[in-house]
Amino acid sequence: MRAKEQTQERPATAGVPVAVSAWLVPGLGHVMLGRTRRALTFFVIVTGMFALGLYLRGELFPLDTSEPLTFLAGLAEIGVGLPFFAARLLGMGTGEVTALTYEYGYTFCIVAGLLNMLIMLDAYDIAVGRKS
Amino acid sequence: MTSHFLILTVFAALVSTAFALLMRDEPKKQIRFGIYAFVCFVGSAFLIGWLMYPFPS
Repeated sequence: MRAKEQTQERPATAGVPVAVSAWLVPGLGHVMLGRTRRALTFFVIVTGMFALGLYLRGELFPLDTSEPLTFLAGLAEIGVGLPFFAARLLGMGTGEVTALTYEYGYTFCIVAGLLNMLIMLDAYDIAVGRKS
Repeated sequence: MTSHFLILTVFAALVSTAFALLMRDEPKKQIRFGIYAFVCFVGSAFLIGWLMYPFPS
């Protein structure tokens, strides 16, 4: 019985490299698990939403602890992984508050980050054997 | 790209696809769930829009 459980559910640490990869590059976790088609779809959705958010003049929020909502928004956007840091380095996502699409823009960026967190958890669950 | 409806539709399509892939395993069920989620997103936006109609901005 114990041996059967061990083959089905792997140790929690087995999923860590997959989860970290899934966070850094959207879909990479699923590539590591051999689910290439699904991974490609996730990559297109997350990076597409994030890019669209920036195009719509959205803002990349700082992790400002004095403003709880700004902090949470920033945390959600970091969920996108490397594209977030790349955009920051390139000086994108400064946010144009007067733009008609400003709110849509940052909503797309925040939701892209949150979706990638869900995708990361999905990859982790598959890696440790909780999900098939 | 300043059409509110277009942005709403794109948002609904992308999020519905991600949800369908995450929450269902079989392709047929994924398509059904994706369409259901998309209709719920767009439908609820229309419903809330109509409910807000009597209230001036």
